[in-house]
Amino acid sequence: MDTQEQELEDIELFQKHVSDRFTELSSPPEDDALLSVSWLHRLLDVFLCCEAEFEAILIMDRDPSQLSKPPFDRLIPEFIERAVKALDICNAVANGVDSVRHCQKLSEIVISALDQNPLGDGHAKRAKKALLMLLSAMNLDDKEGTHVKATERSWSFGRRGVNKEQIAGHFRSLSWQVAKNWSSAKQIQSMIYNLVAPRGAEASGLPSPIYTMNVIMIFVMWALVAAIPCQERNGLPTHFPVPKQLNWAHSLIGLQEKIADEWKKKEKKGMSGLLDELQKMEKLAQSLIDFTDSFHFPGDAEKVKEAAVNVSELKEIFGRMDQGLTPLQMHIREVFHRIVRSRTEFLDVLEKGSAPVL
Amino acid sequence: MDECQSAIPAHDGDLHVVAAAHHIVKALGTTKNLSDDLRKILIDLDAHLSLITSNIDSKGGKGFVEVEERLKRVERKIVIWESDRIMIWDSGPKEVSDYLEAVDEVQTLIDSLRGLSMNENQKQKELLHRASSLLQMAMSRLEEELIHMLVKHKQQSEPTYMPSPSSQRNVVYNESVVSLDNESAKEASSKSSRSDECGEYIVDLVPEHVIPDIKSIAKVMFASDYGQEFCEAFIGVRKEALEQHFDILENGKLSIEDVLKMEWCSLSTEMNKWTWSMKIIFRVYLMSEKRLCDQVLGEFGSVNSFCFLEIAKTTILCLLNFGEAIAMGPQEPEKLLRLLDMYETLADLVLDIDALFSEDGGSFVRLEFHKLLEGLADSVKAAFNTFRVAVSSNGSLYPFPGGGVHPLSKYVMNYISMFPDYSSTLNLLLEDQHSDVASLVSEPQCGPTASLSTSCPMACHLRSITSSLESNLHKKSKLYKDEALQHIFLMNNLHYMVQKVKGSELRPFFGDEWIRKHNAKFQQHEMNYERVTWSSVVLLLKDDNPGSSSLSKSAFKEKCKGFSIAFEEVYKNQTSWCIPDPQLREDLRISTSLKVVHAYRTFLGRNPAHVDDKCIKHTVEDVEKLLLDLFEGSPRSLRNSRRMMKT
Repeated sequence: MDTQEQELEDIELFQKHVSDRFTELSSPPEDDALLSVSWLHRLLDVFLCCEAEFEAILIMDRDPSQLSKPPFDRLIPEFIERAVKALDICNAVANGVDSVRHCQKLSEIVISALDQNPLGDGHAKRAKKALLMLLSAMNLDDKEGTHVKATERSWSFGRRGVNKEQIAGHFRSLSWQVAKNWSSAKQIQSMIYNLVAPRGAEASGLPSPIYTMNVIMIFVMWALVAAIPCQERNGLPTHFPVPKQLNWAHSLIGLQEKIADEWKKKEKKGMSGLLDELQKMEKLAQSLIDFTDSFHFPGDAEKVKEAAVNVSELKEIFGRMDQGLTPLQMHIREVFHRIVRSRTEFLDVLEKGSAPVL
Repeated sequence: MDECQSAIPAHDGDLHVVAAAHHIVKALGTTKNLSDDLRKILIDLDAHLSLITSNIDSKGGKGFVEVEERLKRVERKIVIWESDRIMIWDSGPKEVSDYLEAVDEVQTLIDSLRGLSMNENQKQKELLHRASSLLQMAMSRLEEELIHMLVKHKQQSEPTYMPSPSSQRNVVYNESVVSLDNESAKEASSKSSRSDECGEYIVDLVPEHVIPDIKSIAKVMFASDYGQEFCEAFIGVRKEALEQHFDILENGKLSIEDVLKMEWCSLSTEMNKWTWSMKIIFRVYLMSEKRLCDQVLGEFGSVNSFCFLEIAKTTILCLLNFGEAIAMGPQEPEKLLRLLDMYETLADLVLDIDALFSEDGGSFVRLEFHKLLEGLADSVKAAFNTFRVAVSSNGSLYPFPGGGVHPLSKYVMNYISMFPDYSSTLNLLLEDQHSDVASLVSEPQCGPTASLSTSCPMACHLRSITSSLESNLHKKSKLYKDEALQHIFLMNNLHYMVQKVKGSELRPFFGDEWIRKHNAKFQQHEMNYERVTWSSVVLLLKDDNPGSSSLSKSAFKEKCKGFSIAFEEVYKNQTSWCIPDPQLREDLRISTSLKVVHAYRTFLGRNPAHVDDKCIKHTVEDVEKLLLDLFEGSPRSLRNSRRMMKT
């Protein structure tokens, strides 16, 4: 009886921690806007902490045969399956961060071009070129990795007398690591499928933290996909079937709804990632491109001043990306490896617990 | 001095000297204790210097005329190309050097214009503006030239040595191979990558003669602070080129989920492709790409390794992903050989990978591939273990018809006969499990016949596996009701095992001691068979009363009948038994014949009076011939026998 009480206590504590961590995530300090690079780092940390606690509760000091009996003989394999789907998402998102780094690189050109005094036509043209590439890279229709090749780019415009400034294709072909018909939206969809909150007696036992961890995993993956451009996000589900009466879930659901709202707004316009820095960069790029379009040396003093402000904001975003993006990729890899390990542990447990193979 | 007044110093240094001198003069002028002479000199100098700078500063004064002239000249040289459809670098070396000189000149003009103190000088500003616009135009043009050059020459330089996936020996080793005989099994299952070795093979991804041109563009663009645009263009084209090569290798871009769900046949193909692709990509394409980056960007510091990483990233991550998916998967026995291939390939390449990505930015690449190597090592060990367990736990419900060589024996022996190919790897990976196994193995390998090869970890494991196989076969033999058949079965299978060991690369690992022992074993079963089958039959022909004369007619008849019945019974049963090995079959027939025919002949010889009796169903010759039907595997009864009874 003692161990059962201990177990209930552990579960409660686990869920309290979950609730606390997500509450913290919901009210970020100014620098750490929702879905910014640093916020994503925190999200991944939350995942790792929750996962560690979860594994401890489920596996440590537990007789493996317990987890091979119903309902665990269904719940654990389901969890493992979702974990595998999460792995593919980690890879897709890590790949997507590369495309954000590309945007960062392009913005560097824009900054070099416009950070000039006095600003000349040449600088404006240079900036405009980079801005066009930047905008098209951000608004990439992430269907199957659009391959606008470097060759096409130059030869459909430019030499044939068309105004070179109209080159709209993006420079570096963004090739995806995964299969052509893989869809991040569908992947999330299939993770949500069959996710049912435990009821009755199960709700107070081990099935409960399993459900919790499932929800956390899905949420984290979903948030990453929403933030970072990756393959085929059309149709990303915006609703999580998580019952509102679950105490630990309140902040998580709140966060999810907030992000979902943003997603719905942007979906109509055509999407870059919801990553805070990307969104800001897009806005700045838009106003800068208007500026460069209308600029003629020496230019309107007011507009030039405004542009300078934009450029310095862009510099700031660049700085945050420069500092945070590569670590973000590393962080995602860490999560990837942790999920792999966790899956192996659970598979081991299932194997030990099931009847010996004849 | 007069010439100085109208000449504008073209170099930064001179301008700064003028300004500095002017400043010093003014400062000196404020000191109190100046002699009159000194004061005069200073005033003079001041005047001169003011003249120089005022020349420069004067609005649209003579000073800027030369600059403007130079700008106009260079403008013409650059703008003229804007409307031209021909590429500069396609035109000729003179056009190229003219253009580059022009760009150089623009940069120089900009530098000098910038170096001047910026007063409210409209002309200066205007000229600077024109110059920087011109520069942007030129840079944009250079970018296009660069892309054109890279694309044009990229297509022409496919390496002549191009692997075709179809040349890959596609090996699928699964239960169906059991039906193959020795030869085709060996051929089908041979290591896919051994003879397709791929050493370092650096190709010219871009022809040698184009490199200086690319470098010259790089130099100019970097000097003008347009290095980022250069990198963008360069990375863009090279990345695409690499990915095209990768596409040709036909690695399906599979998700981890796909890999885990894939059935063995396709998975085996993919693993083969991966092994091959890894070698080609790292040893050929990435080595060559790195060299190209070094050639083009070597003098620009960390930009070099950054560009290389960006070019390579997607491709290598794709390869990494597949490897990780494999390492995660369930490690069934049939995967073992392919896993060994993958492990060996990566172990081979790891140093190359470390060298290619030696800088900081590439550290995660090194780390991940090292992790993967460990993962594959674990996979190999796991698969090996699963194989072992499968051998001992393979159960049968029914006895194997005919008592021939069991499919399990074929599977195991054929499979392990391919392990020697990987002996060094297996010895390395199985080392820590060595001690557990060595104690399990019942055959001691000590004494004069023990050698390094028979005592290495792999050898111990191999003997442990055959030991498990033997135990399993013993279990299976118990399913036969007929004891004689049990012995036939064991004789067949043990003989098969010995033949396999003797006739393959397994021999040095098992050693002569093992062969001797196992020869003895199957020979023992041979003898047991004979005893069980024929002793009682031969006993029937025994002379009860040695020394007495021939038997009475009835006694003779009885014995004859008894022998016939017993013989026919054996014939009926044992013609359906099987001894696949012709030599073994022959041996058994001969020794049976010696026993039985001899006894029969003796029996008949002792009772000559009854030889013509009708009760003798078979002559000695008949018996001899009938014995030949045994162990053919096709059941016969004497009624159907071709050799009809002689009337």
